[in-house]
Amino acid sequence: MGKEGISTIILKKRLIFLFFIISLCMVLLICRLAWIQVVKAEDLQREAQEQWNRSIPVTALRGTIYDRHGRVLAGSATAETVVAIPQQIFDSRETARALAPVLDMEEGELEEILTRERALVYVKRKVDEEVAQKVRELDLAGIDFAKESKRFYPNENLASHVLGFAGVDQGLAGLEVYYEDELGGRDGRIIYQSDARGMQMPQGVQQYIPSEPGHDLVLTLDETIQFIVERELNKALMEYDAKNVMAIAVNPQTGEVLSIAKKPDYDPNNYLDYPEESWHITPIFATFEPGSTFKLVTLAASIEENLYNMEEDFYCSGSMNVAGSRIRCWTSHKGGHGSIDFLDVVKGSCNPGFITMGQRLGKEDLFKYIYAFGFGARTGIDLPGEGLGILFKPEQVGPVELATTSFGQGVSVTPIQQVMAVAAMANGGDLIKPYIVKEFRDADGNLVRESEAQVVREVLSGETSQMVSHIMEKVVSEGSGLNAYIDGYRVAGKTGTAQKVGGGGYLAGKNIMSFIGFAPAEDPQVLLFVAVDEPTKGSMWASQIAAPVFRSIMVDVLNYLDVPRESLEEDEIRTVRVPDLVGSSVDEASALLQDQGLLIKMVGEGDIITRQTPKPGAVVPLQTSILVYVSEEGKEVDKDGEEVLVPDLQGKSMREAGEILSWMGLRLNSFGTGVAVRQDPEAHTTAPRDTVVKVEFKSPAE
Amino acid sequence: MKKNKGKPPDFIIFFVALILLGIGLVMVFSSSFYTSTELRGDSYYFLKRQVFWAVLGLIGMIFLANYDYWKLKKYVKFLLLINFVLLLLVYVPGVGIEINAAKRWIGVGGLSVQPAEFTKVVLILFTAAFLSKNRIDINNFWSGVAPPLGIMGICFLLILKQPDLGTAVAIAGTVLVILFAAGMQGKHIFALAVTGLPALGYLMLSEEYRRKRFFSFLNPWEDSLDTGYHIIQSLYALGPGRLLGVGLGRSRQKFFYLPEPHSDFIFALIGEELGFVGAATVLILFFLLIWRGFKVALMAPDKFGSLLAVGLISMISLQVLINVGVVTGSIPVTGINLPFISAGGTSLFFTLCSVGILLNISKHAQY
Repeated sequence: MGKEGISTIILKKRLIFLFFIISLCMVLLICRLAWIQVVKAEDLQREAQEQWNRSIPVTALRGTIYDRHGRVLAGSATAETVVAIPQQIFDSRETARALAPVLDMEEGELEEILTRERALVYVKRKVDEEVAQKVRELDLAGIDFAKESKRFYPNENLASHVLGFAGVDQGLAGLEVYYEDELGGRDGRIIYQSDARGMQMPQGVQQYIPSEPGHDLVLTLDETIQFIVERELNKALMEYDAKNVMAIAVNPQTGEVLSIAKKPDYDPNNYLDYPEESWHITPIFATFEPGSTFKLVTLAASIEENLYNMEEDFYCSGSMNVAGSRIRCWTSHKGGHGSIDFLDVVKGSCNPGFITMGQRLGKEDLFKYIYAFGFGARTGIDLPGEGLGILFKPEQVGPVELATTSFGQGVSVTPIQQVMAVAAMANGGDLIKPYIVKEFRDADGNLVRESEAQVVREVLSGETSQMVSHIMEKVVSEGSGLNAYIDGYRVAGKTGTAQKVGGGGYLAGKNIMSFIGFAPAEDPQVLLFVAVDEPTKGSMWASQIAAPVFRSIMVDVLNYLDVPRESLEEDEIRTVRVPDLVGSSVDEASALLQDQGLLIKMVGEGDIITRQTPKPGAVVPLQTSILVYVSEEGKEVDKDGEEVLVPDLQGKSMREAGEILSWMGLRLNSFGTGVAVRQDPEAHTTAPRDTVVKVEFKSPAE
Repeated sequence: MKKNKGKPPDFIIFFVALILLGIGLVMVFSSSFYTSTELRGDSYYFLKRQVFWAVLGLIGMIFLANYDYWKLKKYVKFLLLINFVLLLLVYVPGVGIEINAAKRWIGVGGLSVQPAEFTKVVLILFTAAFLSKNRIDINNFWSGVAPPLGIMGICFLLILKQPDLGTAVAIAGTVLVILFAAGMQGKHIFALAVTGLPALGYLMLSEEYRRKRFFSFLNPWEDSLDTGYHIIQSLYALGPGRLLGVGLGRSRQKFFYLPEPHSDFIFALIGEELGFVGAATVLILFFLLIWRGFKVALMAPDKFGSLLAVGLISMISLQVLINVGVVTGSIPVTGINLPFISAGGTSLFFTLCSVGILLNISKHAQY
């Protein structure tokens, strides 16, 4: 068989077998093809689509923020963003080396960005025009520019807490973050199909989704009022060397916020240069014991419940025994208020008087009113980070808690809660919701949405409201608020002093002095709250610290708003006779001056007053500052010695500085105007008599 | 052996080959004009070359269709010698051309040719000629089976070294198919499988990257940017093609996504632009060709003609099955041309020459 070679029969059989095998393979391949192109087609197409589609974002123009009169508070300017098209860069290392010094970036980092496998990458967002110009001059292949908008705040620090700031892509604080959706608009995109190298496909589909610009915000805030408030807060911060000072001004009829301010503040254009804590909107964020301002709640509740008769007699012995605990009045060192009536209880801010009012109300009713006035709940102001505060839980409230709550101790509230509660007392009895954005307008200026006054609930009757206002007016015109008195206006108000709580108890020497009030009392246009947090200089009395700040702001705001002055009955300025303060302690002097409506300005170290000007018996206008020199007990100013102690002049006016230095036998060499900010020789050092002290004065608004 | 000069050739083979060639020219142009424009500045770069080789191939086909196939036997030894010289020439500097670290080409006055393509035809000729000798006893392993295996083994190693795994596998497969058709015994096939497969497995899987690449077809998404990339891009072409395709010239995957869209992965592009219908049509055309090819082998007047025909048609079949298998992610990625269609001059030329030989055998068919 071998001689005939291979078998033809086997050959033919095997040929047929091979053909069968190959045919089978072909059928399998066709099935596989059908599986891919018919069954799995949808999934594969979707995945492939993702691979082909590239998109370039088109950022939307951010809305502008205006004050209530259309003045720009936050705006957007176009800025250049440096972009790279990696596929068009031939030498990424060389390009990175050229760009690094101009953009102030690391070479390695740049190279990594420039070699990313993307159609387009951002190299540096929103650079300054001069930087962009330098990059343009380099004329690098594959480096281009995109127009974006950059946020700017023309007034720098003004209203920084309210406005907040925006980062590269979105709002990060304040209104900028609260209204991110409205301000930010909607980013657009250019979608195109690209080849694997990132270049646009020749017949690729291109789609342009235009960006929608953000809405403009028109605030209830008034730039001028904000400016007045911030100027006075700056002055107070320097004068009292406080940790914080803050203020809120609202229209108590509508809830429109006219100003929210806190010092120290920051410049939102360079927000990263400031510590994060300074970004907090303290007036709505911080919670602290309200102190005496809270007594207004007890008063209003008592009037509404017909439990208050201002003519009823009351005796204050300086303290009161509540369930075995002795609770003191602030007048305890001088034996209390003595025999007074219930109007005097309010005017003199008498703790035992308010405890009595609280006891008459009982815990149910007192807390009913506390909640009704909005404490323990957020006001709903349109700003981020509002605080809640802490109240006693009803089951925790015993006689002592009831007593302390009725004069504002043991509760913790936010300034904005206090403001809205007093607004309810001022406006006829309605608790209203505060708001800061009045209108939303689209990019063409058309009104999109308008805010309206919103009544949360009715808390007091109109009569009660009127009566509370009337009594608060008495506090200012005759009582502890005399330093807030303004000629020609009927100002209603209340002081508050609270010790700060920390580490399980009250912190000695750490106080918050506040003053809350409104004007004109019968038809309130402005309600203003001022708080000075941890002042370290001057008297420790709210009437001496917060009331004057309140007054300074209120005078200018009322003038600015053209609120007419009432013609005074006796057409002259109220005057007072200066009491003799020499030999008394600072506390005694503060109490004495508060009753007179005079202010104390201290210099020196110690507690005993050894000198004063003007002299006792002089007749001066209300709210005149009495400059006193204090020292340790028994020490007099050593006028005959060769060496004298240089006083601390910070925050003093030029006249005051001159007066103080002449006491010491020193001379003044002044430059600048405003209040003293720097001096040479420095305070607390000794200098020979007749030394010339150089003092720099600066306007507090700067 | 009678001369039947008057008999017509198998027209189905002729026309199917022409249609496939036509489809190839259109798809080579469609697949390459963007990348050619971008990379070579000449949209017609690949089309021009393909047309040149097609014309040359058609001349070769017509010549061989009219050249009695048994006369080729005389030149087998000479052709085998030339084949080895050419296979070694790729390593000679100045003559050999290295592209992408592969030494597969030699330069002939501005044109480059791939000796391995020549090897395919020569090995088929040699094996068919050897096994059709009357003195050969296929049942004797050493005298019957070993010589063609040995010659093939040397070529296989030389081509594998270039490296060109796809072509090496194709020629090995083809020679084995001819041996099988010739009646190679089952025990010899088994013995060969027992010794050959582990060796082959070692060769292909010894290196980490080859192993990864080998198995990546099972789950290409596991390493989508590296070893799985080819398969994924191929599926991203086939899938969106769906039933009717995105339209001629409207592929998106040819924009640098699909590697080698004009050569090894041209079938994916056909699937994308012409859809399942287009791709299946191409497969059916191949099937027609294969069917007629086997018919030629069955009807050949002598054993040489039969073995030659089965060798040539198996060569084409194997390339189609491997290529489409790779493109559809059914088998491990192996670089191999789709006959008639992929851009590649030498391959097209010898494919058309093979068809010419088949046509000549068909002219002598005995029904």
